[in-house]
Amino acid sequence: MNLYRQLWLLILLIPGIGLAPLQADNALPKGLRVYSPGPAPVFRLSDMDNEAFALDSARGRWVFVHFWASWCGPCRKEMPAVQRMATLLEDEPLLIVMVNTSEDEDTVFSFLGSYAPDMNSLMDRDGQVTEAWQPRGLPATYLVDPQGNIRYQALGGRPWDQPEYLAFLRSLSRSDGTN
Amino acid sequence: MQAPRKPHRYRLLLLAFSGAAMAAPDTPVDIRFTPRTPEQMSAFYAARGFPQPMVELLAKQCFITVRVHNRGTDTIWLDLSRWHFSARGKEVRRYHRNHWLPLWKDMGIPLAKQSTFRWTLLPEALDYQPDEAEGGNIILPWVKGPISLSASFASGPDQRGPLIRLRYDNLHCAEDKP
Repeated sequence: MNLYRQLWLLILLIPGIGLAPLQADNALPKGLRVYSPGPAPVFRLSDMDNEAFALDSARGRWVFVHFWASWCGPCRKEMPAVQRMATLLEDEPLLIVMVNTSEDEDTVFSFLGSYAPDMNSLMDRDGQVTEAWQPRGLPATYLVDPQGNIRYQALGGRPWDQPEYLAFLRSLSRSDGTN
Repeated sequence: MQAPRKPHRYRLLLLAFSGAAMAAPDTPVDIRFTPRTPEQMSAFYAARGFPQPMVELLAKQCFITVRVHNRGTDTIWLDLSRWHFSARGKEVRRYHRNHWLPLWKDMGIPLAKQSTFRWTLLPEALDYQPDEAEGGNIILPWVKGPISLSASFASGPDQRGPLIRLRYDNLHCAEDKP
């Protein structure tokens, strides 16, 4: 075996330098940022119907965690795209978790009724869960891998219903997150 | 150790009008300023159920909504400690977000309202990635007449890129628009 073939074999065998992660990074849609993997801050919140959800119950699946507020202009712009994305990906094993920051049920109910009537949202009533995640601003989206680590962060609002984002999320949701 | 590169210097003379926006040309940093009237801020916070003493206190301040957009290809670093405001040759001290914490605590303001208030502020520090735009309010004590701002941004992934210096000489609080 010549030196070049040995080098290529070595590159392919080193964890984290194989072809799969390179392909994944090349396909990263605009405005998504690779996050140094670290554990997502755990939380347990209730939604508008008072159904409780704990993030650590989602282990084994990719989770789209989205922080928002009705007063935030980019959130209003982005929310319909989030709902369309959720509809288009409903057969995928991606869990979509909306977290409203510091608002009350009436406000959230009214807002979602206008902008995303099919969506429900967890209620971070005192805003402390949002604070713990330290978003760059609102809206804020994180992609949490099946092991419970934050792997990607969106910069501001994104057109989640566009093909490049849908393809990325489909691909991600079918992976085990170990790449 | 790599020495910092020569700073870029931009001097800008721009006018701020209530409800209008403005941009800094020829820089990788696009900043838009929108002064807000006390009525606008009171209406915003009151509509979100903020307690009246909090609304009244905030209505006495000078709010300017700032949107920073990184139009370049390199990371730029917002650090509000590098933003210096002045009027008539005297420093105008911007209120740091921590300034409000003890006041809200003394007033017994609910955590939810404190949290919403903080999210309406421009971050004290943020690394803006290429094409990223984030904004929020800065709060100054109300002053009459033009306000100058000298601001600088580090650039590059390790903050060792060219220092970007900006100067704005004709900002105003909304109630003092020309």
